[in-house]
Formats: sequence, C-alpha cells, structure tokens
Amino acid sequence: MAWCGAWRFAAVIGGIERIVVSLDAVSEIHAAIAAAARLAVRWNAALHGVFVEDEDLLRLAGLPFARQVSLGAGAEALTAAQAARQLRAFAETARRELAAAARRHDLRWSFEIVHGAAAVTTAAGDFIVACAASRPIGAHFRIDTQPRRAVAPGSGSLLLMHPVRAGRTVVTVLHDREPASGRVLEAAAQFAEAADASLVVVCASKLARDKRFEAWVGERLAAYSVHPRIESAPGDPAALQRHILGLDCGLLALAEDAEPADPDRRREIATGTGCDILVMR
Amino acid sequence: MAQQRRTGDGPPPGEDPTFDLAVPLPADLLYRRCDPDHLPFDLCTELVDAPGLIGQERATEAVRFAVRMRRKGYNIYALGDRGAGRQQLIEDLLRHQAETEPIPPDWCYVNNFVDPQQPRCLSLPAGRGAAFDAAMKRLVEELRATLPAAFERDDYRARQQVIEQQFKERSEQAFGALQQHAEGRGIALLRTPMGLALAPKRDGRVVSPEDFEALPADQRERTQREIEGIQGELEAMMRQVPLWEREHRGALRALNRDTAAFAIGHLLEDVRNGYRELPAVIDYLEAVERDIKENIDDFLAPPAAPPGAEGPGPAAPPGDDARFRRYRVNLIVDNGAQKGAPVIYEDNPTHQTLAGRIDNLARFGALVTDFNLIAPGALHRANGGYLLLDAQKLLAGNFGWASLKRALSAGEIRTESLEQLLSMPSTVTLKPEPIRLDLKVVLLGPASLYYLLSGSDDEFPELFKIAADFEDRVARTPEMTLLYARLVAAIVRRQQLRCFDRAAVARVIEQAARLAGDQQRLSTSLRAITDLLQEADQLAADAGKEEVGAAEVEAAIAAQFRRGDRLYRRLQEEIGRKTIRLETRGERVGQVNGLSVISLGTLSFGNPARITAQIRLGRGEVVDIEREVALGGPLHSKGVLILAGFLGGRFGDTRPLSLNASLVFEQSYGGIDGDSASAAELFALLSALADAPIKQSFAVTGSVDQHGQIQAIGGVNEKIEGFFDACRLSGLADGQGVIIPASNVKHLMLRRDVVAAAAEGRFAIRPIDTVDQGMELLTGIPAGAAGAGGAYPVGSLNFRIAARLDAFAARTAELWRGAAPGGSLR
Repeated sequence: MAWCGAWRFAAVIGGIERIVVSLDAVSEIHAAIAAAARLAVRWNAALHGVFVEDEDLLRLAGLPFARQVSLGAGAEALTAAQAARQLRAFAETARRELAAAARRHDLRWSFEIVHGAAAVTTAAGDFIVACAASRPIGAHFRIDTQPRRAVAPGSGSLLLMHPVRAGRTVVTVLHDREPASGRVLEAAAQFAEAADASLVVVCASKLARDKRFEAWVGERLAAYSVHPRIESAPGDPAALQRHILGLDCGLLALAEDAEPADPDRRREIATGTGCDILVMR
Repeated sequence: MAQQRRTGDGPPPGEDPTFDLAVPLPADLLYRRCDPDHLPFDLCTELVDAPGLIGQERATEAVRFAVRMRRKGYNIYALGDRGAGRQQLIEDLLRHQAETEPIPPDWCYVNNFVDPQQPRCLSLPAGRGAAFDAAMKRLVEELRATLPAAFERDDYRARQQVIEQQFKERSEQAFGALQQHAEGRGIALLRTPMGLALAPKRDGRVVSPEDFEALPADQRERTQREIEGIQGELEAMMRQVPLWEREHRGALRALNRDTAAFAIGHLLEDVRNGYRELPAVIDYLEAVERDIKENIDDFLAPPAAPPGAEGPGPAAPPGDDARFRRYRVNLIVDNGAQKGAPVIYEDNPTHQTLAGRIDNLARFGALVTDFNLIAPGALHRANGGYLLLDAQKLLAGNFGWASLKRALSAGEIRTESLEQLLSMPSTVTLKPEPIRLDLKVVLLGPASLYYLLSGSDDEFPELFKIAADFEDRVARTPEMTLLYARLVAAIVRRQQLRCFDRAAVARVIEQAARLAGDQQRLSTSLRAITDLLQEADQLAADAGKEEVGAAEVEAAIAAQFRRGDRLYRRLQEEIGRKTIRLETRGERVGQVNGLSVISLGTLSFGNPARITAQIRLGRGEVVDIEREVALGGPLHSKGVLILAGFLGGRFGDTRPLSLNASLVFEQSYGGIDGDSASAAELFALLSALADAPIKQSFAVTGSVDQHGQIQAIGGVNEKIEGFFDACRLSGLADGQGVIIPASNVKHLMLRRDVVAAAAEGRFAIRPIDTVDQGMELLTGIPAGAAGAGGAYPVGSLNFRIAARLDAFAARTAELWRGAAPGGSLR
C-alpha cells in the first residue's frame, strides 16, 4: 500500500526538510528506505540514513564466551572483530541501497553511522522512518532489539514500518478533540485518500457516542473524500490490539502524546497488528 | 534414280499419308487442316465441357487404383510435362474421391506437464478442436477470476491466519520460553546480524567485557555455564526451525490445494463433461488440474507484462500472460470447415513446410519456445487426405524429400528442426509427440526424374508404387477432334473468355497438331492451348469483337512467334547480308545445306547451315570436326561414324577405303547434337567423292543408317520453314525446296506461306527413303544400282564414287610400294 501520496500532508505536518531513516544490521531496511524515499519526494525533503551499530552486540562480542547461533551455520564463536566486520558490511549495504533509492528519485541524500541507544539526534524539520521489527529467524520468529530505541523519544513525527504486507484500512486512535488530534485525523485522512483506503476513527466510548465529536470529525475532514467510521475503543490495551487487528489495519495513526505513549508498547501493537504506525508530534 | 512410288490422294484419319516420291509433295500433305465444316457447332458455348483431360485413360486408371489401394507405399508419381494439365486432372479426381471420404480429425498440441520439452498431441473429432481450444481459454479466464476470489474469501483468510498463528505461536512460544528462561537468569537473547546470541545482562543492558571481568570468578563461571546451557537449548531449537517452516509450507500448500480444488472442481468438470468419450483429453485435463493446484500462485499474482516485447521475433498476442501459456491449446489442424478428406497442394515443399516447424520468441535477449509455437506443415494439413507436390521443387527444396520419405516410411509426422533431422548438434528445443500419418502423396514430375529416382533411390519404389504416366499427345481421330473442341469450350468457360466460333476452334486444333509436331496427333499441353485461347481472346477484345474468330487465333499464333523470334530474325538477317554464307542457288561439290533446330524457351526455329566435306588419301576414317573441337554431341558423332559404316558397306568389299574425309558445319559456333544432319553430311561426302556438284537450292534433313536408309528426324516443320525464310530473302527461285525423310511427311504442319508457295510450285518438299534417292535429287545424276559383279553402271554416281575410291587405293598402293621398308604412310 502506498501511504505516501498525499500532497497536503506537508501542510498538516509542516516544515519537513529531512526524512531520517533509521537503519541497522538486523532490520528489514528495504521497506523503510522505500517509504522514506517516497516521502522525501512528496515533501521535497532530503534523505538521511542513520545506521545504528548495536551497542549490546558489540559488548557481547567482547565477552570471551560469546557465540552466535544461526540457521545456516549453527553455533559459532563471535569475536569483536567479526561483529565489527559484519556491522560494516551491513552498513555498506544500507548505504548503497539508500543511495540507489535517492538516485532513482533524484533526491539529496546523506548517510552516517552512529553507535548505541538514542544516538539518532533529530532536528525540528525531521520526519523519522524506522522499521518496526527485525528480520525473522525462519519465517516467523522476530526478536526486538536495541536499535529501535536508537531514536531519542520526542524527536519528531515517526513512521514505524511493519515488514509484512499491510491491510487496507487506516485507523486513527483519538482520545480527545485537541488540535494535535485534529492533525492526526487529517494526516490519517490524507494517507487513506492516497492509498484509496477506508478510515476508521477509534476513540473512547464516551467520545464515540458524542454527536459533537462526530460533528467535529466531519468538520475537520470536510475537505477530504474519505468518510470516516467512528468506533469506540476497548479500554484494555490487548482488546484494543485485537480490535485493530479485526479492522484489517494498514496504518495506525497516533498522536505523540496519545496512549499508549510507551514506544515499546507501540512497537508491540505494530508487530501484533501487522500494520505501520504513524506517530504525529 | 530408285523410285519408290506411293499412291493415294490423302491420308485417312490415323493412317500414314501416301504420296509420290517422284514429285514434290502436294500442298494438302504439307498441312492437315481441321475443316470447320466438320465441326458440329457454330459456337463453342454449344459444347458440353470435356470430362477432365482427354486421352489420359491410362494415367487416370492408375490414379484411381492408387486411391482405392489403402496400403502403405501406394503413393503416386504422375509422370508428364508441365502444362499438360496433370495437376488439375489429379486434383479433380482426388477431390471427387475425397468428398466421399470421412473428414479427418483435428489435431492439437498441448503442454506435457511432466516434460514440457515433449509436448503431447491430441486428436479430436473434426471441428471439436476449436471448441476445446475455446473451452480451455474460457477455463483459464474463469480460473483467473474464480481462484483469486476463492483466496480472498474470509473463510480462506481465516484458515490461513489460523495456520500462520499456529506456527507463529509455536515458534514464539518456544523462543519466548527460552527467552523468559534466560532472562530469569539475567541473560539476554539478542538478535545478531546472522542469528541469535546469549549475553549476561544487567540493568537492561548487556554487561560490558570490563564489567564481566570485574565480577567474582565463581559468578563469571556460573554465568558462563548458564549461558552454555541455554545455548544448547537454543541450538536445538534452531535445528527445529527448518522443520517448522517445512510443516508450515506444507500446511499452507494443503490449504491452497483444498481451496483450489473446491474452486476449480466444477469448472474442470464442465470441460471434462464435453470430452468423456476421449480418454486422451480426459487424461490431459487431469494433468491440467494437478498443475493448477500445484501452481495456484500464478493465478493469484497480478497480470504479468506480455512476453517478447523487448526484442524482435513473433509478437505475443495482446493480453498473453506467459504464466498461462501452458494451459493453451495449439490447434494445428482445424478440420471444422472441411468437407470430406482434404486435398492439399504445397507449392514450396521443404522440410519445414512439410513437417512443420518450431518457432521461437525473443525474451530477455534469448530465444525461447514452447508447444504454442509449433506450426503445422502440409503433412499435418493433408493428413487423412491427399497431398500433391511438385517433384522437382521437392528435390530442390531444403531437405523436403528426406523429410517426406521419413514421414511416409515411419507413418508419422515428427516436427523437428533441421539440426535434429540431420543429427547435428543443436540447442535444446522441443521434441513434440509424433502425429500418426495416413495420407496419399502425389508427386508431379517429369518422366526423367521418375526413372532417375527409381534407379538411384532405394526407398522411392517402396514409397511410390504407382506411376501415372501422362500422354503429351493424343491421336487425332474425328472423335478426338470433337473431344478437343469440347476441351477448348471447357477452357473458354473456365477462363471466362469470349466465345470461340467454329473456325477459331478448328484453327486451335490445327495448332495443337503443330505443337505435337504431327498431322495425326494433338498436343495435350493445356498450358500452351490455354495461353493461345487467352491471347486470341485479348486480340478479339482489342478489336472490339464479341466472339473470337480464326483470324484472332492466327494473329495470336503469329504474335507468340514474333515475341520470341529476335534471334531468329537476326540469323535470317545475317544470311541476307551474306555474313552467314548460305547458298540457295547454283551448284557446289562437297557442299550441302543442312538444317538444325534451335530451341530458345518455348520457341523453336530452323537454322540452315552449310555442311562441307573434304577428302584426301588416308586409311578410311571420316573425321567429325565438330567432335574434334568438342562442339559435337555424342549423337552427332554417332551419325558421322555411321557414314563410315555406309561407305565401307557399299564400297569396301572390293577395295580398301584409302581415304580420309572431314566434315564440318560451317560457321557453327555453338554445340550441335543429334543425327538429323547425318544424311546431309553423307550427301556432301558422296558429292566430294563423285566430284558431282550438289544443287544449293535444296536443303536436306534426315538421318541415315549404315545401309543408306533415310530415317525420321524431329523438328521437320521448323527446319523447312527456316530454309524457306532463307530462300525468300533473295526471292524464291525455281527448284528450291527441302529434302526430308519420307517417314516425316506425316509430321508436316507447315506455315501457311510455305504451303502456299508449295501449292504454287515455288517451293518443293521432297520426301526420300534412301541415300540414292537423295543424291539423284541433289545432283540430277542417276545413282546407279550395282550389277551382278558389284559393278555400277558407267556414269552413275556410285560408279564415279567407286572409281574415285579405286584411284585412291591405287595411289596408296603406289605410295606404299615407294616407301622404305618399315615405313608408314600417313
């Protein structure tokens, strides 16, 4: 699903100058790079790749008994030198892929390698794209790792890409009628228009029954061709996740301060529901 | 002069004409007219068409027999010249027969799902091949709609999610339990670039090497042992992952198969129901079903780009999706519109046009092929019926003959490349299943080729047991003349020409006799007659006439000759200008006017030339100068050697032939063959020996045997006309004419102007039977018959020749006597 076709998106998010794509040695970087490049084209922004070297991996490799178990080779010793070589190789691959995407779309681009948690520093005009899950072991088992925490909290709007095929619905989770919620709603509507998807607004039961809220939503989306459906959200986070899963969700849009605020929880929702997550500042 | 007198006023039909050797032939023997008054119609449209070709009963019977004979090898070779109407006759016969025979089946090639390199052939009742093709196309289209819908349905997705969840949970539970177990011991499970690893953890982070070293030794050892223990479990679990994945794929495949089976079952059943009585088709449809189930993804993916778009080669049809080509039906023979058995004529019989070919498509810079690119040949199209081929084209074509023989011998059609046929190394290509062959082949070719093949190709007599020998001429009886008129009427009708009146038809029949070169025969060359009719029709059109008369036919004949007579006119012109020396008046010793025929394309004309002889002392040899310089062919040389035989037989029993003679066609610069000048050469030689001058007003044609008998030759009409035209250049004079073999009189169909000159006594045609008759005519001296002692009457030609030979012998003996012992006389 191409989520990045909305021209008006810039007006909603405002002043995007750089798409920062977070890369590492264990994530599926192709979808993230492709999405970042498309967004950069839409917003006429530069493309900046940040390859994060996993600090935990480097520490592990320094231990005398460190071993790595893989499907291809079984158990083998892991030394600091090997880890460094592998990280360099993956970084080079990521750099080439980013450069190729930039060339294809005629974008300005840059690339840097950083080290450790919260190492990616962002500016006000940055929009961050990251992959939500690691490459799987076999076809199914994915394990969360440090790099997704490489982006410092509150750095900017963020799109967490899910590596698996997405659904066809944009779901917006709202808890109030604040201006930030309005921006999320509009952004979600624009993504839905661009992808020819339907839009579902999920909110607290009380709000869902409120006619003024319904009017407020209609007013905010008057300029868009999508017709949202308002549903009440289950209070329990697990129930909310199941509910979203049942909606065939492709993109989940949240305000930065919306619940769940914990990045790990959001990531869990992304992997659990199989959808991308847009976090709006 | 030895007279052989024949009597009679004119030849009854079919019999030799009678005539008097002592006088020039009367005009009525120089041209046998077809009297229009004897034709029982005014316009040819009144006539019923002639039934096929005329006078070809033997060939027709042979063809009919071969058609009835349904055994191997009873194919037909139709011997005859081009333009005789053989092909039309045979096609008519075969079509008539074919109408009563069953329509052969349709043939198609389909994919072999076990080995795509060897496509399968399917045979379906006539007309059902196209329906099968359409049914398969419809099936694929419906599958492309039905299958994605089946896989989009909620129940499928729910089942798929159950499977996905089941396997996801299995791995998550296993790894999750391990992870939980590890974390309970302060050990983190990490994702590394290549796999997984275990590391001691403190405060949510992996312990650094420095901090680990700072730990007490027993704690380090414990941690390390714990990590090793968990790592063993991790390794065991990692070994399970491929098994889980395999199980997962198998479960998904089974789900897809079940879903597909349910979705396609009724669609395939519909197709099957139409072909229950055809086990091979049912077998194929089962293979299709298996393949669809194994390749469901092809139907679920979005349409692919058409193949072959990036390079030269046959363009793929619009909307053609390479993924579904294997389900298509390549209908190579569609007999849906056929009435009876097919009768096919292949104009360009090569290996590929007979046995079919395998085309290629350019795809991504490489040539690829599949069963859809198998193209049929004439053998496919004619299978179950009749195939007509031109034998000369077949043998000249690219391995067409080898391909045909192979197919007929094996009783099957193998479509393969030339490289495969010749067992040459080739790229990997298809090897289509052979198709059973049951047809009758008719080769149309000249007789010479038939005899050549019979003698040099062992397989030919086995494969072509029936020879249909076509006549190139028929007897000119009254019945045949009327039949010929009906043939003219048939051609006029078929070619949609103007109506020919009775006189025009009569003139056409006369021309048919001229084409046959015989008063008593008519040419069966339909092409020549058809050309004449068409051209006469055009002249009538040019003149604004509604009907074609004898004048138009006459003009068309003259125009035909005129169009091709440039060289003939040039020769005549040079004779007139004395560049080519030809004497038509006066007398000469050892010189006679001979006649040859030059054939250029369809035109033949007579070419008069001086033949001279010189004699001298020698050992009885007659030298053919033409042969010495390799301009004379073997038949000409044979004729000259016969002269020596004649001389020896007549004069050599009482004296040695102590002479050498040389003979030559003067001013002849090209090759010459045939023995039709041997009589003229003998006359020149005898003239030289007798020192008796020959009248140059005569030209001579005829061959001679060793006993002095004059024998028939070919082209007598053209030769006479050639000399007539040469004489006319300086005005016809008394005594001019041509001496011809008496046995050629029945062949005379001379031009009108020659006949008119003869009728007026200005040009004579003199038939002879013997050398002596000819010499008497040419010299005016009696030849003289040998007496009881072998002596000839004094003063006769033979007496003078014998005396000359005696003188040569005496002179030779005299020279021998004067020669030194052991010497030689040359």
